Amino acid sequence: MNNMIQIIKNEWRFLIRSHIFLGISIAFFLILLLSVFLGNFQTNKQEQTYQNAKDHVRQQWVSIDEMNPHSAAHYGTYIFKPSNLMSSLDEGVSSITGNVIRVEGHVQNEIVHSEASQMQTVSRFGKLKPSLLLQYIVPLLLVFLAFNSVSNEKLSGRLKLLVLQGSKPIQIMLSKTMSVWLYGVMLLTFVLLVYGILNMHSLTTDILIRTGFFFLSYCLYYFIICGLTVFFSSRWHNPTLALTSMLGVWIIWTMFMPNILMSSAEKWHSLPSRNEFQLAMKEDRSKGLDGHNPRDKRSIALKEKVLKEYGVDSLSQLPINFDGMRMQADEDYGNSVWDKHFGTNREILQKQKQSYQLGGIVNPFISLQNTSMGFMANDNLHHQEFLLQVENYRRDFIKMLNDKQTFGGSKTGDWGWKIDNAFFKSVPDFNYKPTQVFEVISYYMLDVIVLFLWSILVIALIVFGTKKIQIV
Amino acid sequence: MRNLNIFLYEWKHFVRSPFKIVAVLLFIIASIYGLHNGADLYEKQNAEIERITREAEIKKETISSYFENNEKGPENRPWIDVTTPFWAIWNTPTYHFKTPSPAIVYNIGQTEQYGFYKAINTSSSPYDSDMTNEIANPERIQSGTLDFSFVILYLLPLMLLTLLYNIKGQEVEQGMLSLVFVQTGSKNSWILSRTTFYAIILIIILFCLILYGATLTKVFNLDIVFWKVFQWITIYLIFWLVIYFLIIKYGKNTVSNTLQMIGIWLLLAFIIPATIQQYISINKPTNLMVDIIDVSRDKKGEINAQPIEMIDKQLFKLYPNLNATKVAKDTVIVSRVRGYSTDALINEEMKNATKNIEEDNNIKNEIISKTYWFNPITYFQNKLNQLTNTHYNDYEEYRNAIQKSVDKRNEIMVLDIWNDVKVDKSKYLEYNTIFSKNE
Repeated sequence: MNNMIQIIKNEWRFLIRSHIFLGISIAFFLILLLSVFLGNFQTNKQEQTYQNAKDHVRQQWVSIDEMNPHSAAHYGTYIFKPSNLMSSLDEGVSSITGNVIRVEGHVQNEIVHSEASQMQTVSRFGKLKPSLLLQYIVPLLLVFLAFNSVSNEKLSGRLKLLVLQGSKPIQIMLSKTMSVWLYGVMLLTFVLLVYGILNMHSLTTDILIRTGFFFLSYCLYYFIICGLTVFFSSRWHNPTLALTSMLGVWIIWTMFMPNILMSSAEKWHSLPSRNEFQLAMKEDRSKGLDGHNPRDKRSIALKEKVLKEYGVDSLSQLPINFDGMRMQADEDYGNSVWDKHFGTNREILQKQKQSYQLGGIVNPFISLQNTSMGFMANDNLHHQEFLLQVENYRRDFIKMLNDKQTFGGSKTGDWGWKIDNAFFKSVPDFNYKPTQVFEVISYYMLDVIVLFLWSILVIALIVFGTKKIQIV
Repeated sequence: MRNLNIFLYEWKHFVRSPFKIVAVLLFIIASIYGLHNGADLYEKQNAEIERITREAEIKKETISSYFENNEKGPENRPWIDVTTPFWAIWNTPTYHFKTPSPAIVYNIGQTEQYGFYKAINTSSSPYDSDMTNEIANPERIQSGTLDFSFVILYLLPLMLLTLLYNIKGQEVEQGMLSLVFVQTGSKNSWILSRTTFYAIILIIILFCLILYGATLTKVFNLDIVFWKVFQWITIYLIFWLVIYFLIIKYGKNTVSNTLQMIGIWLLLAFIIPATIQQYISINKPTNLMVDIIDVSRDKKGEINAQPIEMIDKQLFKLYPNLNATKVAKDTVIVSRVRGYSTDALINEEMKNATKNIEEDNNIKNEIISKTYWFNPITYFQNKLNQLTNTHYNDYEEYRNAIQKSVDKRNEIMVLDIWNDVKVDKSKYLEYNTIFSKNE
């Protein structure tokens, strides 16, 4: 163990003495610092825009003087997707998904107006966020630091010297891996520390736990990269060959395979087109009750049932407003249709995700990407959770209005009846509850396990490589 | 003769380098995969357009049958009267399509960020929810589809790197550089000849790939797009060849050259575009379309709540011909038709709101365009997007065409309502013909 610590210390001494290394390190620290600052600033600015829009729409709602409840259901409201604090580290799918969703009666609208649709193409890999640098650039830097770590020792004869001094080849290899890996961990720690300092007042236990898992995923991935590079460095006499081999691995892992695997997963489990989806919904919905049509057969059946329940002969004798009841029955049926179709889509998306996660077996970068955006609450799973919360809110919102129509004191057919401002003020605003990490952690376990398995495999490769290493 | 010898030597070196051969093979496989992805999208969109057109045709036949059977609409919806212009136009199924260009096989550009079909009615807007992208996995869209342009813009420089990285460096390490210079005479021409060898190989491969792509869709039906795509890809290749040539010329060894090459690539492919996107997001945060929301809620209410005289005044200003119509002179029926006409006024307000949004987006686009001189990959990406009709501007044109279609629909509806036109089957079919022209 002492030998290993000594080798790691020596490696760091060599690195620090190198002006090129120091220059590159300073550049990296600066760009990482910049990315955290810009990421944070951008998230805060977007949050401000979000808050202004949210307040504006809420103000419109609470300013309604008087309105018929069902007219208010058509007037509806709008919900904006909030940006979360962790977007400063990894914004995941946020720039691709929409930001605005209309909440109204009878219909579940789609989320619209994504950031990506509001300008021409700029960056294929997203904004300058720490995740971009930590996922793509830092691993390359680690490859450059590690590719000649063993081959140079062999060429200079120092490897033989180290062995003669009592170090075991496995210790040397692991120390070389650890010394470069620690550099990666240091960069990662720096990013998280700056992020923590900038957001000191907003940190919650959930964010800290998520950040902890984020840290763990990157640590494992960096270990895989460093270990594999050191393995190649020990296997090949020529350091250039080790470098080009690792560059090949990097290209295949980060540029080639994620796209291919994700596209394939989407082909294996295909989603319907929007038109098909809407037609199927419309078809199913047409089998239910039409809230706006009193002549509809199912409306008539419901009317008979209600009249019987209240023991009266006609709608005018009812103490309630049957129109509101009919509207709510329409909603309830529509909700079950939505649950069925949206549920099917969610299942397909789930299958796509699982297939993609299995891709981590051949490409740990996929597992890293999944955990990075997942633990930062910006993957599709969290997006779907947001949409579900919006839909649940829509149901409560519309039910409140329909109930007011039904039981608020008006009579059937009295569409001119209006309720006052106090009621509109009493309707609660949408309040997004961020998904807690422990509710979703099971979804990312496969990725974390794959990263652990890859780390074990890399250790096995190093052990295997050590046995075949030629000291002289 | 000397150049030929260098070419022959390079050919031997190339075929004896499994690493380089594998790189080229992977590049070809990725390209073919990318071309098929583009072709699949082309087929998929065309099939969807065909399916929607068929559906519209069925709806048209259903409505026509009401006229044939002397009915006014569906039995369970007695308020519908298709013999009036409002309900006839309401029931004229009209779709506006963004038909995919066959050149999409080379580059899908921003296709997946927008919708490509839009149902038009009098209250439609180019920013309606059906203008958003198709139902798709956002994680897949975020990681990007591996299309041919991705292979060209990001993998071509890397493949070029694997082909060129050890030029000169290897000779330096083997101590043979002086000998090579003695035999070849000029350092520059020796490096240039070796680089040119790979350039020729790559141009041949790229031409064959582009040609293969052309067989998957009907690219040759488009005037000169095939050659334009080839031209821009060749320019892009030359751009990287010049950068790598300079690195090799002034570089000292293989490792340092490789580091510089990959460093430049990272800078141009990742750091610069990502920084610009971040800068734009800070300066112009995502538009949450509050202007449109205001029109669709408050303005709509305000317009409908206006005094009759005000609505008339606005309608007459918008359509001066309305003043002379039959209904305008008849005070009894005017109040009924006015309610059906306010969509046209709301449409005008919506146009003002969307104009601001488009202007806002164009400011972002201008910022991006101003960075092209130091952001070449984004420049080439957008150039390819323009060639393949998948650029932001193409979708802006599509939105403008939709707006025109909505304007036309409103105008015809208001004029026909105020002229008290009675709709029969032939008039209904005329509506279908006029609205389906999409111009």
